[in-house]
Amino acid sequence: MKRGFIGWDTQQLPRAALEARLEELQRNIAGLGVQVLVAFCDVWRSNDVRYLSNYMPYWNRALTVIPSGETPILLCALSPRVYPWIRSVTLHETILPSPQLIAQLVRLCAERGWTRVGVLDHEGLPYELYRQLAAEKLEIVDVPRHLVRPKATEAEVAMHRHAARLARGVLEREVTGEALGLTDHELTGRLERALRRAGAEDLFVLVSGGYTPPLPACGTVLGAHSSVTLALEYCGHWVKLSRNVAGMTSPLPPGRGATVHLETLSRASGWEGIAEDDHEAGAVISLQVEIPADGKRLYYGDTCVREGGGLGVL
Amino acid sequence: MLNPIRKQQYLQLMAERGWDLLLFYGDGWRKDLFRCLINVNFSGPQAVALLSRSGQIRALVTDPWDVEPVGAAIEDEPMLSLRLAEGLRAVLAAEARAIVAVNGLEQMEARFVRAVQEIAGAVPVSATADVEEIRRVKTAEEIEWIRRAAQLADRGYEHFVKVCEPGMTEFELVAEVESFVKAHGAEDNFMLVASGGTEVTGMKPPTARRFQPGDSVTTELTPQVNGYYAQICRTLVIGEPSAAQLQAYSIFAAAQQAAQTYLRPGVDISDVARVQNDVFRARGYGDYTGPQYTRVRGHNLGLYPDELPHVLENVHYICKQDMVLIAHPNTYLPLSGYMVFGDTLLVTAEGCVPLNDTPRKLFHS
Repeated sequence: MKRGFIGWDTQQLPRAALEARLEELQRNIAGLGVQVLVAFCDVWRSNDVRYLSNYMPYWNRALTVIPSGETPILLCALSPRVYPWIRSVTLHETILPSPQLIAQLVRLCAERGWTRVGVLDHEGLPYELYRQLAAEKLEIVDVPRHLVRPKATEAEVAMHRHAARLARGVLEREVTGEALGLTDHELTGRLERALRRAGAEDLFVLVSGGYTPPLPACGTVLGAHSSVTLALEYCGHWVKLSRNVAGMTSPLPPGRGATVHLETLSRASGWEGIAEDDHEAGAVISLQVEIPADGKRLYYGDTCVREGGGLGVL
Repeated sequence: MLNPIRKQQYLQLMAERGWDLLLFYGDGWRKDLFRCLINVNFSGPQAVALLSRSGQIRALVTDPWDVEPVGAAIEDEPMLSLRLAEGLRAVLAAEARAIVAVNGLEQMEARFVRAVQEIAGAVPVSATADVEEIRRVKTAEEIEWIRRAAQLADRGYEHFVKVCEPGMTEFELVAEVESFVKAHGAEDNFMLVASGGTEVTGMKPPTARRFQPGDSVTTELTPQVNGYYAQICRTLVIGEPSAAQLQAYSIFAAAQQAAQTYLRPGVDISDVARVQNDVFRARGYGDYTGPQYTRVRGHNLGLYPDELPHVLENVHYICKQDMVLIAHPNTYLPLSGYMVFGDTLLVTAEGCVPLNDTPRKLFHS
């Protein structure tokens, strides 16, 4: 579950910015002829809905229902006891308790007279919901992700940059020669403390001792060939960076002999998404490099934005 | 890494059901659906284990960094595919017309189910409920991991009490506790908090609210060790507890004790909920045992922190030896606001034993 600080800083993300996203969405899907758009989220696939309404499901599943010209409605499997908190950190004013998400959606569609329903990434729905929806008398139209989030905006890139700076500062302070002798658990604890106190929503730490790829901590002692990879979520924006105790760096993109691991972080799915290289200008890319060293492997990497023909470190 | 006891149980299940192939689909939220056969904390978006009737185990991973740990667990090179649907088509290429079952079918993206269907010629059947039933009764090794997780929960709560102070924000407290449990071996942690008085109706992720004298600070702390979760629920008062807070605590403690006294093999889980709720009813607070004020009176624990069955009066399940669950009568009371209290319990031959040893009291800072 997400157990970091989930808030809504309206200086960073004004209500008007969210409303502008919804207006853009309506323009993008106007040609589909749907009366309403439905977007699924769960604790792990959270970024689509976060982009649209700032709802961050710390646990469980939800559907965001976006009628044209209206504030999004949240169909929520969490208890109504947390709805006041949800209202305080999202655009959502109407939240409907929905232990059965599709049944609630069908009731809402009947009440509003909606028969042609757009579903964001229809085939990405969990099969349980997909099957239930298929059994209903609704005309379902798949809405591809690029219509919802065409490209990362400057404001989003700025949030990724803030997150990258936060992660980089802590990593470069903690992953040094002074970490030698700590266990990977202890180092993970230090990173967790610093980054969650700085407002991280979610955090994954992977450690390599030089003999394996970066893996979750397992109690080994950090040595001269240890590297740490950190994936950090800050206000719904993921970054990923690697540093090593030896202080070895790599140009990004790297030279010969290195193995590169690329992921797109600015698409709807973010950390949880498909690993790929994204050639679109403005795409936010995780670029992690495996560097051979003395028969072992070191890792170095950063989060970059694609600009012109190359990558710029955020 | 590989759970050999479970493997044999799954093979027996496959034989009984006539399944040729059993897939274990895990994703970033429900890794347990994969880890119940191959206990590797994978990093990629998804991972799939494939168990054949012959006993052969294969795996499909979606992150290059998962190839080595998963390969080590199954002593075979897993297939790597950055796009799971393409990987499923490739790994199942020789399984045309096989009867395929999936543990986690309900959670699987529809496009992945379609990929399986295209190869096998039929929609796969769900194995989730059957596998869940097998997982409910823990092996000796699993109990040992849960015992360690419970010990870490105790130490984590001790740290919670040590660092919690007036003026601290909820998210700073969670950062401190998270740091502690991770530094001492937790690979994950499920943790909810709340703070305040009678206005507090439930727990949620931490906010920037600062603790004040008189606050009840509640938490469910649930560290995960080698995949397995154990939970503790306690309430701490900032400063001296009021008479109302002490009165409320006495009700929660009595309700939890009622569950612990009652729980044994052969009892219906609905009665484990009922005996807790009866304590509230006897004290005049029966109205606060329903869904308006509370979610569940406990739940099973294991590779997932909220396993079924839930402890509710309308859920019927006969408890078995070596199940591990938490009984927590957490709810809102007008006396104190939302309050929590609970321990992880192991069902033994004659009854149950708590795996936590944190003092059973209303803590105060």
